[in-house]
Amino acid sequence: MERLGGFEIFAQIMGQFLPVWIGLIVILAASFYFRRNLGLYGKLFDSPIGMVGLVLVLFWVLTAIFADQIATFDALDQLSGMKNKKPGWPVRDQEGLHYLLGGDNLARDVFSRMVYGSREVLIIAPAATLFAFMVGITLGLPAGFRGGRTDTILTFVANLVLAFPVILLFFLLVTPEIRADGEVYQLWGGQQWVASVPNIMALVLFLFPIIFFVVLWVSRYSTQPGKLAIFMAITLLIGGWAYIGLVFNADPFGVLYMDPNLLNIFVSVVFVNSPTVFRIVRGVTVDIKTRDYVAAAQTRGERPWYIMLWEILPNARGPLIVDFCLRIGYTTILLGTLGFFGLGVSPESPNWGQTINEGRKLLSLYPHLALPPALALMSLVLGLNLLADGLREESLKD
Amino acid sequence: MMDKAVEPILEIENLNISFFVRAGEIPAVMDFSCKVMPGETMGLVGESGCGKSTVALGIMRDMGNRGKIVGGKIKFKGRDMGEMSDEELRDIRGSKIAMIYQEPMASLNPAMKIGKQLMEVPLIHEQVSEQEAYDRSLAMLHSVKLPDPARIMDAYPHQISGGQQQRIVIAMALLSKPDLLLLDEPTTALDVTVEAGIVELVKELGRETGTSMLFISHNLGLILETCDRITVMYSGEAVETGTVHEVFDQMRHPYTQGLFNSIPLPGADKNSRPLISIRGQLPLPMERPHGCNFGPRCDHYVESICNAHAVPMNEVSGQPDHRSRCMRIKDIDWEAEPERRLVEDPAAPGDVVLDIRDLKKYYDVAANKIFGGGDTRTVKANETVSFQARESETVAIVGESGCGKSTLAKVLLGLETATSGSVELRGKDIGDTEVNDRTKKTVASVQMVFQNPFDTLNPSHTVGSQIIRTLEKFGIGETTTDRTNRMLELLDLVKLPRAFADRMPRQLSGGQKQRIGVARAFAGQPQVVVADEPVSALDVSVQAAVTELLMDIQREAKTTMLFISHDLSVVRYIADRVVVMYLGHIVEQGTTDQIFSPPYHPYTEALLSAIPIADTSVQKKHIVLDGDIPSALNPPSGCPFQTRCPRKSMVEGTLCETDVPPVRDLSNGHQVKCHLAQSVLDAMEPVIVLGEKPATATSKTAKPKAVKAPAKKTKAPAKKLTAVEKAVPLSSARSRATVKKATPKAATRAKAKAATPAKAKSTAAAPKKDNAPPKMRKPTKPDDLKMISGVGPKIEGILNGLGVYKFEQIAKWKKAERAWVDDHLSFKGRIDREDWVKQAKALAKGR
Repeated sequence: MERLGGFEIFAQIMGQFLPVWIGLIVILAASFYFRRNLGLYGKLFDSPIGMVGLVLVLFWVLTAIFADQIATFDALDQLSGMKNKKPGWPVRDQEGLHYLLGGDNLARDVFSRMVYGSREVLIIAPAATLFAFMVGITLGLPAGFRGGRTDTILTFVANLVLAFPVILLFFLLVTPEIRADGEVYQLWGGQQWVASVPNIMALVLFLFPIIFFVVLWVSRYSTQPGKLAIFMAITLLIGGWAYIGLVFNADPFGVLYMDPNLLNIFVSVVFVNSPTVFRIVRGVTVDIKTRDYVAAAQTRGERPWYIMLWEILPNARGPLIVDFCLRIGYTTILLGTLGFFGLGVSPESPNWGQTINEGRKLLSLYPHLALPPALALMSLVLGLNLLADGLREESLKD
Repeated sequence: MMDKAVEPILEIENLNISFFVRAGEIPAVMDFSCKVMPGETMGLVGESGCGKSTVALGIMRDMGNRGKIVGGKIKFKGRDMGEMSDEELRDIRGSKIAMIYQEPMASLNPAMKIGKQLMEVPLIHEQVSEQEAYDRSLAMLHSVKLPDPARIMDAYPHQISGGQQQRIVIAMALLSKPDLLLLDEPTTALDVTVEAGIVELVKELGRETGTSMLFISHNLGLILETCDRITVMYSGEAVETGTVHEVFDQMRHPYTQGLFNSIPLPGADKNSRPLISIRGQLPLPMERPHGCNFGPRCDHYVESICNAHAVPMNEVSGQPDHRSRCMRIKDIDWEAEPERRLVEDPAAPGDVVLDIRDLKKYYDVAANKIFGGGDTRTVKANETVSFQARESETVAIVGESGCGKSTLAKVLLGLETATSGSVELRGKDIGDTEVNDRTKKTVASVQMVFQNPFDTLNPSHTVGSQIIRTLEKFGIGETTTDRTNRMLELLDLVKLPRAFADRMPRQLSGGQKQRIGVARAFAGQPQVVVADEPVSALDVSVQAAVTELLMDIQREAKTTMLFISHDLSVVRYIADRVVVMYLGHIVEQGTTDQIFSPPYHPYTEALLSAIPIADTSVQKKHIVLDGDIPSALNPPSGCPFQTRCPRKSMVEGTLCETDVPPVRDLSNGHQVKCHLAQSVLDAMEPVIVLGEKPATATSKTAKPKAVKAPAKKTKAPAKKLTAVEKAVPLSSARSRATVKKATPKAATRAKAKAATPAKAKSTAAAPKKDNAPPKMRKPTKPDDLKMISGVGPKIEGILNGLGVYKFEQIAKWKKAERAWVDDHLSFKGRIDREDWVKQAKALAKGR
């Protein structure tokens, strides 16, 4: 059987991405049609830069969603005779199948690994960023709003974390000794929980989203007990379930589960990102709290947390949305860097950073191992940056 | 008045300025003409968005990349600025024409010493030596009356006060000995007494140097004090122009008249002679009506006269300099007293609601926040403040920035607690209770209307939900439906349509937002409403409406209102009693009549004389205070006002510097905190004297005319001719029919104008001609395409050149044609002509 030519490889890859193209067309057409009712997102369609960013980001999001349909092989399948083969190499014994972007040093399909890698990146990076935002917002609002001693202490702690070299911090957090060191507690059903540094950090950091939502509902609906009870029940149920599952690894239903390795990475990423978010939120809060509508809220007897979460936070959304996009980009790079240092998730995971690292060793001989994930990472981060740029640009216009 | 032979410094002829944005062309200034003679000060007055600043920027030819002069000429000393090269323009800017902006701090470089910034001017424009530049700068600082110029030369801008900064900016502008000075609201950011000083300085310098000035302001009083001639602008057009006395005493445009009726002049009274607001609001630049721009808001509007075609500037008979853009100058009875809505049952003040006794509020400012060390300094924001307010009474608290009036409001509302003293609301002390510790009822009974309408509503929540939340917090209504109903009632109360409940604040105009602010304050039947300059940020024509609304609701609800303001003319109009504050002290209080007639506290006296009043019949005593308000961090010893007091020398010894004056009761609760002897107080003369409206004003202006008559007559026909000529480009743009009547010369000019775009089209459009919209021959009655938003005079010209004259033609455009037109107009960025087609369809149908 013949090896595929450059054009055929291109055509086949495009064909494999068919679900993504369809999804892109549907989403863009729908959003364009309703763009006048979509607020800031709708305005994005007026900015060419933002559009490019949006398309790139959507492309990878859709790839992550349809990874099973797009990928030609499983990420871990090793087929004999495919080790380090060039792109477009036909698979032995299987008619019409090729390794579109070649095989890696363990004879796995580079293309499929790149596709599955998007899943790893696009789940961890946004989720970690979201958690970092919850922490940053929950601490940044009171620091900016109350000022004084609260501000001084929190800012000091944030600066402390920021001053610590990130990579060193990661090495520390994922060192086996630190991960295993700590008292062992017996949980229900024979489960165990080790009070190691990363685990304790998870215990604390994962509490923030729950606190955030509880305060959010209490401050808003304390005058309407009925509504408050519903929102609280939903928050506590879902939050508590996720908390038990993710932090203690003891989900009674066995659905929510986080690989200990992943948990470490996750916690570390949240930990280093939240001080920066904290500083942004604090700065914006200091600016907004001088507005008359904040004073108006105070004169009608609103509690501080209501003012922070319902009067100030919605008006801080502009810079926060932009920063969210940028931060997903940073986090993606950070995860790549971690993978590159061998600190990523499990060694065989198709995570882009790790794949680049493995491919690096053979770069001069087989450039096709490292290039696809590198280009994927680059285009996603570029897309996020452009998207953030477009959002910033459009949010300034009115 | 002026010798006509003298060449004007600045001559603007039929200026049209448009901004080109995504939606198309937005005309900002239309058919604007004016002349500034040597040594003359021309006032440009109008509300925000009327294009007055755009005119100034047009003169400087600095309109950014979106603005463009699309028609007309600006001649500086007889030379058309449009023909000057960039280099020449650069040379003129800053040396021959200087501009002074509203915000002094924004005009000065914060990182550069003042001396260096000043010296740059002669160094760059005249290439003098360093020493020469320094000497000149120093001399200029002397002439703008800054204390200790040598020290100020070596200071940074942030080290001096706002008033001093503005003086520096003026000095910088004058250093180049400009022929023309543009002042764009030069005193708006300053306090009243500081403003008076700057105005005085500008007038004096104008007299001394003979510089011509273009003074832009929204304040009619200020214009009266500074200017020789005035141009009133409305929605991009000059509506009336003439000498100050002609316009102020014999206004001939309904808008000008409306403006004067809506500002509180001495003689206005909230019960017997209330203000009359102009109804409606300023049209958006893309939604200007057909014909007279002021038509929809005008009481004298007559269908098919006022909206027939664009209104030209018409001469007011008998006054050659006085012109008005009104079709019905001769038909309207300008002297008729407008109908006023008299108040039959003014509410009488009832029991004491609010009783403030010896209130003190001190702030500690620590030098070092983290470690608490360093010396702690105390800001005395309120010092022994005592006054009472009764039911349905309006008490005005007057004072300039830093006088402690906002702190007082904060203590009342519970945002701060009093350091000592008591604040009693119907006998209950609330001075020590923070707002979060107050009962719902107390919170609801003390509410506030805020100053800045753009800041008073949270931009992220709908208007309705913000009012509902207030009701929720006040415990009004059991269910959400209850509260929604109550919210809708409140919207009725402030005369806003109920549909506004679902709007976001950004969709509301400033006046409407302020109405929502009023609705929110009155949501819980308050006993006391603190109104912190509630109308000062609004446009003049809207101010009156909001003021009246506020007073109506107050009268209905028998609420006590504390009206915080620095504007004594509003205070005189609205207040029953007045409290004058200075640096945390109440220096004088009493009924409005007591405050506005002698004896005065010297500060009140200065404040009264500083207020610019837009009434030619008013005689004012002239008192200009030296220096600025001292910092509350470092108040003067003894009497707080002693550093600036003009009457300090009348008190023997150093009493003023050592002792805080006692509060003296002059008569029936008229209290003054001053050391002046009773004899001095008794000898005071009133600051403002309301003279008889000079009925002779006409004869005054008429007389010199009679003398000059022979000379004028010969000029008159020539002048008329130019007037016709001037009107031509306008009418050619607006309606082709009138072109035929114009002089042949003008007609050819108009033709040439129409021909150029056509020519341009033939070259540009050659390759894709098939998509060009179908042409037609010019009909006898072409439609006014400018009624489509996004089409201005320039684009209309291009469209006419393409053979497009009727709405129906545009309405028929398909996608290909739209794209072709977009391409032809060669706008940057993506534009949708779809919108034009929609509008054209509607317009074609509407006829």
